[in-house]
Amino acid sequence: MERPLTKRPLIRRRTLDRIGLLFAALVMVSPVVLFFLWMISLSLKYEIDNGAYPPILIPENFAWSNYVQVFRENNFFLYFWNSVLVTGAATLLALIIGVPAGYGIARLKAEKAAIVIMIARMTPGLSFLIPLFLLFQWLNLLGTLWPQIIIHLVVTVPIVVWIMIGYFETTPMELEEAASIDGATPWQVFRLVALPIAKPGIVVAFILALIFSWNNFVFGIVLASRTTRTLPVAVYNMLSFEQVSWGPLAAAALIVTLPVLVLTLFAQKQIVAGLTAGAVKGG
Amino acid sequence: MATVTLQNIQKRFGAVNVIENLSVDIADGEFVVLVGPSGCGKSTLLRMVAGLEEVSGGEIRIGAREVSNLPARDRDIAMVFQNYALYPHMTVEDNMGFALKLKRANPADTAERVKKAAAILGLENLLERYPRQLSGGQRQRVAMGRAIVRNPQVFLFDEPLSNLDAKLRVVMRGEIKAMHQRIGTTTIYVTHDQIEAMTMADKIVVLHDGNIEQVGAPLELYDRPANLFVAGFIGSPAMNFLNGKIEEGVFRTEKGLILPLPAEVSPAKAGGRPLVYGIRPEHIRASDQGIQGRATIVEGTGSEIFAKLDCGGEQLSCLFRERIDVRFGDTVGISIDAKQVHLFDKTTGHRL
Repeated sequence: MERPLTKRPLIRRRTLDRIGLLFAALVMVSPVVLFFLWMISLSLKYEIDNGAYPPILIPENFAWSNYVQVFRENNFFLYFWNSVLVTGAATLLALIIGVPAGYGIARLKAEKAAIVIMIARMTPGLSFLIPLFLLFQWLNLLGTLWPQIIIHLVVTVPIVVWIMIGYFETTPMELEEAASIDGATPWQVFRLVALPIAKPGIVVAFILALIFSWNNFVFGIVLASRTTRTLPVAVYNMLSFEQVSWGPLAAAALIVTLPVLVLTLFAQKQIVAGLTAGAVKGG
Repeated sequence: MATVTLQNIQKRFGAVNVIENLSVDIADGEFVVLVGPSGCGKSTLLRMVAGLEEVSGGEIRIGAREVSNLPARDRDIAMVFQNYALYPHMTVEDNMGFALKLKRANPADTAERVKKAAAILGLENLLERYPRQLSGGQRQRVAMGRAIVRNPQVFLFDEPLSNLDAKLRVVMRGEIKAMHQRIGTTTIYVTHDQIEAMTMADKIVVLHDGNIEQVGAPLELYDRPANLFVAGFIGSPAMNFLNGKIEEGVFRTEKGLILPLPAEVSPAKAGGRPLVYGIRPEHIRASDQGIQGRATIVEGTGSEIFAKLDCGGEQLSCLFRERIDVRFGDTVGISIDAKQVHLFDKTTGHRL
């Protein structure tokens, strides 16, 4: 008889806890959520609704034409393809350079090298953009995607290196020692043991590098010509001289965000696992 | 299989001398246990033999080869780590065949050898599994299998049983010993557990602060410990030590307790000097006459009774095999088996 009596308050307590937690979480994420909702709302409203007071969140008529306009009026697919090429190349190159670099720095405990790489990241991009612009001009690379790919490495390589340093530092040394006793050369130890174990870390590094590169705006606005624009630059160009067309702008921004958003949702589990790898060291 | 010779081995980490000057000879096929408290340098020594740690001075030979400057991969040794160090992204079969794959051995031959090793260790049904799907004991066996498949000249074990629970440790202890008896490869085994050392070793090397305290067969160390450290380290519960002197043919402790002496000790030679009287708890018997002591701790395990007695101010640990009725505060009579008494020089710590 006693059991149900003691159990009921416990359940009530738990439900209350859960509601409290949910409320706290909602408060914390609300700025982000509201911002995102407003963007969706903007992209679906006609110009006349944008300036309305009181503001309208859900319009009576959805302006799907905003999306159509994005694809029709701009060379959207070209810019999308440019973005794919620049981000793809910059991310892949960063992995090829950054993963072995991170391994080397972690194993040799070369913190100074890691800090030098970090400084390259901390230096404001604008400070070296002009010299680089002149350099690319001299190399006759302007008008191609290469200047953007190369300069995006400034963003992607440090991310990859730093994440990989953290990851390799947490992988147990004994595994590599066991491999070297088993007859592996240092290169084989890296390729056959360290690298496969670091896969979650590589996924995290890949996704973060991808997001930062995809959203980069400053380098594109300076280095891109009319045909080599990436998506963020193209969105900026929706702000025309006479007026800001909020609807198409929001629609374009959403379309630009979408690939990264989908990828992040898809790989969310991996990211969390990768970022907390150091905290819980599983056997 | 091969002999292993360590000659004047030194190891320094910066200014710290971990191992000063250490020499050991290990015969072909011998099972040698390096034992000592934490920080005595036993693991460092093993890692130097493996090639995972550089030698600061001296020579390591495996068979006729001098290997001190060879990388680990060229030493033809296999090592079992404390946390097993199984490759988490490989199946049991791939883990065990990894070394052969690196040597570009014939895949059919590799599979054959892996199967044979798996049969020895009872792993046939687990070959397709990943390490995370195995229990602690199974992982331990895979780690051993990985070593067996290689057919190396020397096996190295670095505290391989420390992560297992007490019961499994006893089982695996037997399995490792049985495996050694079956394949007979020279083995160096590091542990801090003296029971493991006593039960498994052909030869025990007791290390303390980077120096060898004694080398010998397990029972030799138990029966004739060379110094106070070995006497206190080998045996559980630990040996009783009582400070005092030999006077008029008996041993008199500082607090005045009189204890019997073994026949071979000549009072003339040892008399007058400060000595330490050592007697193992299991060599003290309950007796109606003899020394009287008050029980301050009584612990019965069924097979034996452990008691701590206060005998005129001296504390004596006793282990009674017979079932005696003793409770906290009771007075118990004991007799000491004089043949089992060890005497040490108090200043040098050496056995008389």
